[in-house]
Amino acid sequence: MPKHIQRLIFLFIAFGALALTARYYFKDKSFYEFGHYRGDSVVEIARDKPKYKGTAYCQSCHAPQFAEWSKGVHNSADIGKIVKCEVCHGPGGGRDPESGYMHAATGPDHPKDLKLIVPTDTRKLCPLCHEKLEARPAAQAQIVIDEHAGTQQCTLCHNPHSPKTLVGSIVPLLHPGNPATGKSKAAACLGCHGAVGISQGLPGPTLAGQNPAYLAEKLGEYKAGKRNNPIMNPMAAGLSPGDMEDLGAYFSGLKCEVAPDALNQASAGIKAKAAICANCHGTNGVATSRSWPNLAGQSKDYLVTALKAYKAGERTNIVMSPLAKDLSDADMENLAAHYANAVCK
Amino acid sequence: MDEKKDLDKGQCGRRDFLSRLGCAVAGGATALAAGVALAPEGQAAVAAKPNAPKIPGYDWGNHHYAFGVDATKCIGCLRCVEACKTENEVAGDAHHFRTWVERYAHVEGEDKVRIDSQADPVNIAASDSEGQYRFANRYKDVKVDKAFFVPKLCNHCTHPACVQVCPTGATYKTKDGFVVIDHTYCIGCQYCVQACPYGARFFNPVTRVTDKCTWCYHRVTKGLQPACVEVCPVGARIFGDLNDKQSSISQFVANNRVAVLKPETGNAPNVFYVGIDKDVE
Amino acid sequence: MMDPQFLSAPFTGYVYPNETVFPWGVLIVVYPYLTGLVAGAFTVSSLYQVFGLKALKPVAHFAMLTALCLMIFVPSPLLLHLGHPERALNAVFTPHWSSAMAMFGYFAGFYVILLVLENWFVFRPYMVQQAQQRKGWSGKFYNLLCLGSHDVSEKAMSYDRKWIFALAVIGIPGACGLHGYVGFLFGSLKSREWWSSDMMPIIFLFSAIISGTALVIVLYVVSCLIRKVRIAEDCIKLMAYTLWGFVMFTLVMELAEFGNLVYKGREGIDTIMEFVSTRLIIPFFVLQIGVGAVTPIITLTVLFWRRTTGRFLIVGITVSAVLVLLSVLMMRFNVVIGGEEIAKTGKGLLTFPWEILHREGVLAAASVLIAPFLLLLVMIRIFPPWEDSPAAESH
Repeated sequence: MPKHIQRLIFLFIAFGALALTARYYFKDKSFYEFGHYRGDSVVEIARDKPKYKGTAYCQSCHAPQFAEWSKGVHNSADIGKIVKCEVCHGPGGGRDPESGYMHAATGPDHPKDLKLIVPTDTRKLCPLCHEKLEARPAAQAQIVIDEHAGTQQCTLCHNPHSPKTLVGSIVPLLHPGNPATGKSKAAACLGCHGAVGISQGLPGPTLAGQNPAYLAEKLGEYKAGKRNNPIMNPMAAGLSPGDMEDLGAYFSGLKCEVAPDALNQASAGIKAKAAICANCHGTNGVATSRSWPNLAGQSKDYLVTALKAYKAGERTNIVMSPLAKDLSDADMENLAAHYANAVCK
Repeated sequence: MDEKKDLDKGQCGRRDFLSRLGCAVAGGATALAAGVALAPEGQAAVAAKPNAPKIPGYDWGNHHYAFGVDATKCIGCLRCVEACKTENEVAGDAHHFRTWVERYAHVEGEDKVRIDSQADPVNIAASDSEGQYRFANRYKDVKVDKAFFVPKLCNHCTHPACVQVCPTGATYKTKDGFVVIDHTYCIGCQYCVQACPYGARFFNPVTRVTDKCTWCYHRVTKGLQPACVEVCPVGARIFGDLNDKQSSISQFVANNRVAVLKPETGNAPNVFYVGIDKDVE
Repeated sequence: MMDPQFLSAPFTGYVYPNETVFPWGVLIVVYPYLTGLVAGAFTVSSLYQVFGLKALKPVAHFAMLTALCLMIFVPSPLLLHLGHPERALNAVFTPHWSSAMAMFGYFAGFYVILLVLENWFVFRPYMVQQAQQRKGWSGKFYNLLCLGSHDVSEKAMSYDRKWIFALAVIGIPGACGLHGYVGFLFGSLKSREWWSSDMMPIIFLFSAIISGTALVIVLYVVSCLIRKVRIAEDCIKLMAYTLWGFVMFTLVMELAEFGNLVYKGREGIDTIMEFVSTRLIIPFFVLQIGVGAVTPIITLTVLFWRRTTGRFLIVGITVSAVLVLLSVLMMRFNVVIGGEEIAKTGKGLLTFPWEILHREGVLAAASVLIAPFLLLLVMIRIFPPWEDSPAAESH
């Protein structure tokens, strides 16, 4: 064989040896361990640190909020709708900032070295689930934001952890009062509030058919001085919580009617303004929560007085005060007439 | 003359001998190198191979994981998309997603369905940034006959086309059914991105390797749910072990008529859908 | 050079969110073009070495050298495209055999070696002569290339001839593999209707042959003009016949594939037809088919029919060859980029985002296309492949 062929073959063999050696040197030892891949990479991928911790992680430090949440509608396991803490607040664990990208087994956890977000712009956050979109299933609670809330933040009315438990209200009474007992205690009330709780030009508002929880709460405010009225303050001073519950029960059981001073029908255009009121007070003046007052059949004059008091700042309420400021006198007359004419059920 | 010839022959003989010896040495060296290069595999084959990767507290045998999507429940809130991006360090822009949600809307009078995802420029404009997602209220001025959301993610197919085409073995299917990517081995050729019929894979511009949904392997092996399943507020995403007959996924598959996407590819996807429609690919 | 993280593509209709970043760009258009030129140039050389078509003697060695210069640059578009080019050898150390792309390392490596060897044997007598004649470093250089052996006896030359023949014979299926696998790489995918076809390997292979043949024609004419040498008419005419035949076949294949796709009208065909009837008019119908295939066929037919000779013949053939080169480049472009512009949803179309000054941009692709020819300029000085040079031996 000519020399150049021999040397060529020798070169081939040398190259082959080099290639095989390179392969041996560079190939990872764990390759082919479980298949055509690097066996070690399975462990590396699994080693990455989870960031979302789950709701139990939050419970120990944030017990009151957790309790609110677990009893609220955002934790409705029965219908499969659960909004967990980290959905709004972000994950309880973070990425190790030193790690660059690769799988990190360490990283900060809340609260150490990791602050969680407390959403402030709820008007952007809540509609992510609750804005009315055509593609959303009907079973999902949805609103047209502008009509529902105007320019307000959701948290003005809604407790985000328990949204149906509305801000500034109490949980429905644990001990519903006794109407019969309440009747016996109500004698002093009838002079201003009407013989059967229907106010007929009398100083006090109609109480018949009103929400018992609302009534009891207001009596408590009068007693505590949080709400001021020269007649009601001394009246309420002598009442015990049990009395308040009984009175609330009694009056709520009374039959309500269209208000006697509802002479004028509301003008047709009032429906739009009333739409915002309906969110709490109901379309027909029957409140959506038992903590808020029914307006149906309420004395028209009383309603106007109340709205004016809110607007002037004599009465303050976190929800009513800003809303009343948007109302003109004519609006107030119309709204009052609208509700005074409504029949409560 | 004859002496010279003999001398030449002698010299030729020596040269021949030396060259033959050189060949023998070279051949021997190669054999040795080959032996050394190939032996570890042989030894591994002979010796007892470890049966499972050493993941603390987890045995990858005896699992058959699957994913369920109930598109009748999805409200398109996109919390899953954001949670996945946070959990898995996915680039916070509108072009790289491990999971996404599609919206299908049949508008009255149109026979072609309108489809968009959260990555659509209109929806990105409605959100605060490219890293936050919401569906814009696009159809409020038209009459919509039928509309719904469909979450999408990697199907972790039984016969994954992406694994088939990977030239290095950087992407593979684990014994417990997860199709994952070895980010230290991938060369970034993006053939797998081309091969996936579902558009589940993408090229990570930071790490310069390909990436995709892993069904949160790092969470599942610790007994947790994937991040998207964890945060979904309406239970539209279900994950679990089909070997466990009581698991939610087993119940889901047993109690519903389930469908898969693009069955004609033969990839045998493992994400089972309830409530999708003829237009959903 | 500016290096944006990524460029996203605008789209119409609905596309999957991950589709807005194109995985493969103009570099992946250039890559099959280069391997195609290699395969085609090698085929021309083989027609002489294996099939004994003596008329091709003037271009045989030149085509071989051209193939080598192109082959050296074949990995460069891929290395520029890879996310981690430093890990490229992973596909060689642990090739996943189910992947057509894993074939690349082995086919390409094999073919580089084959071309180096073939050229080495062909130019060995010249190298020996230069090693003996030259002094100093250039003499040492040639000596090293000769592996220190100056044996050009009849025995050695017969060994060389056997090797050259064997390599040329092996090189033909090798070329089919080297370029056919690229077609299979596209054609075997289920995800894109535009690519998924059994005929892809064949179309790629035959368009490779015509591109290589056309390249050799053009380079031959250019080199003759520069060297002020007479162009051998029977040589160029034989190459033109080859080109003519293969272009017709390729055109039939391409139209058959396209017609098949349209006729079957599978799901997503509406989007494809929208794409074809708007975006593809110029790149496909006008450039690839009309200007690049039909025009050369007609031109060559007329030339052969009328038995044209002399300058008209040479100009006509050269112009046809240039058009074929353009057509094949457009074919690669229409397949790769066109396929990515049609979304996997079958319901949307994207627009390819052109980049100029980017690692994967037009400038990089143009450089990769030009570089082999710059190398060729250097190589023809080291290894003159001309018929009238001392390098041309009895083989």
